[in-house]
Amino acid sequence: MNRRIDIALRPKSAFHVLILLSLFFAPSAVWAHAFLDRAEPKVGSEVSKSPEQVKIWFTQQPEHAFSTIKVLNGDGKQVDKNDTRTDPDDSKALVVSVPSLPPGTYKVVWKVLSTDTHRTEGSFKFTVKP
Amino acid sequence: MLLSRLRAPIGAALCALLLCRAVAKAHGILGDRFFPPTIATDDPFAVDEFALPTVSWLKNPGAPSDHELDAGFEFDKEIFPRFALGVSNTFIWHKPHAASSIYGWDNLSLTAKYELWENPEHEAIISVGLGAGIGGTGSRAIGRDFFSTFAPTFYFGKGFGDLPDSLAPLQPLALTGTFDNTFPTSSAGANAFEWGFALEYSLPYLQSHVRDIGLRGPLKDMIPLVEFAMSTQENRPGRGITTGTINPGVLYENSYFQLGAEANIPLNRATGPHVGVTIQMWIYIDDIFPRTFGHPLFGERS
Repeated sequence: MNRRIDIALRPKSAFHVLILLSLFFAPSAVWAHAFLDRAEPKVGSEVSKSPEQVKIWFTQQPEHAFSTIKVLNGDGKQVDKNDTRTDPDDSKALVVSVPSLPPGTYKVVWKVLSTDTHRTEGSFKFTVKP
Repeated sequence: MLLSRLRAPIGAALCALLLCRAVAKAHGILGDRFFPPTIATDDPFAVDEFALPTVSWLKNPGAPSDHELDAGFEFDKEIFPRFALGVSNTFIWHKPHAASSIYGWDNLSLTAKYELWENPEHEAIISVGLGAGIGGTGSRAIGRDFFSTFAPTFYFGKGFGDLPDSLAPLQPLALTGTFDNTFPTSSAGANAFEWGFALEYSLPYLQSHVRDIGLRGPLKDMIPLVEFAMSTQENRPGRGITTGTINPGVLYENSYFQLGAEANIPLNRATGPHVGVTIQMWIYIDDIFPRTFGHPLFGERS
């Protein structure tokens, strides 16, 4: 006889386990870190003319007051307009305005605090072609 | 009765924990890099982690048709900033070829880990630790050791995001590894030098830090990797023999859990003739309960 059947779950216990597992797996907007989902200009892309803004969509909603996007030129100097804000059309996106950027490679540095209190950061580059 | 009397203070304590609003450190994140927990080797981070369950199914390479199902847990808690204690154990079920099943608990494992140095800019980390297998706590039915073992351990991790742009396709690579020497408390055991490393290529890193090549889920959330887990016996019969497995596989990352699968290819004949398989799931408890976990018990990370 296989003694494994001794540890079989009773229906009531199984129901409780099921509830517990569903709690574990239930998605919620207030859980999990905010990571970069996509950006415009795209990560690592080359654009033919200067964008008017840099926009980043995150996997979770960032806390706007504690989140920033900076755009740095090749010398490491900040060139954005220092006006990071939430996209009015999408609460998961942050936007920062930039002036007309001359040709060159720019580094975008983002730091966000997600609503679950986790802090994440990252960076990527894009190039404005001559 | 006792439970009902304790309900109010327990509830108050839980509420206090849940309302804690300190900023949390995300597990395994250093600079731009997320280092996932790997399957065959340990990662270098001393942070809150809770694997429940960690389920593995293996066709043991060392025996014909020896199937093994493991259901374990691991709980690591950051006590002071950069210093964590961990406890883990595994319930093991063996089904040997043409024999009855045997099962029982493995010996209890305790770990202490300290992040000695880290450099977020270069995605680099070095940690040291001590692992202990507590002899006699496991089941005799599955042949667990009656003696304890202690293993001073060195951990490292390095992401290659700082490679020059001319090598951009290699920037998603990362390497983590461990070296330890295991000392038994009985002459029935043998000293062993254990070493392992994991080479990963992070598609999430490629997509969000290097170049958006248009990957969509679930591919954009996958990390292909190959792990090497080796052990060289240092004394007793078998001295000098190295056994181990090479483990190619893939991890799938979600905000709440990680699913991983690896093949276990034996390094040599001494390891065994069969390829095994491990499937594992980690649940990120600090993401599910971010206000409770993700913080040191005493103090805060700078």
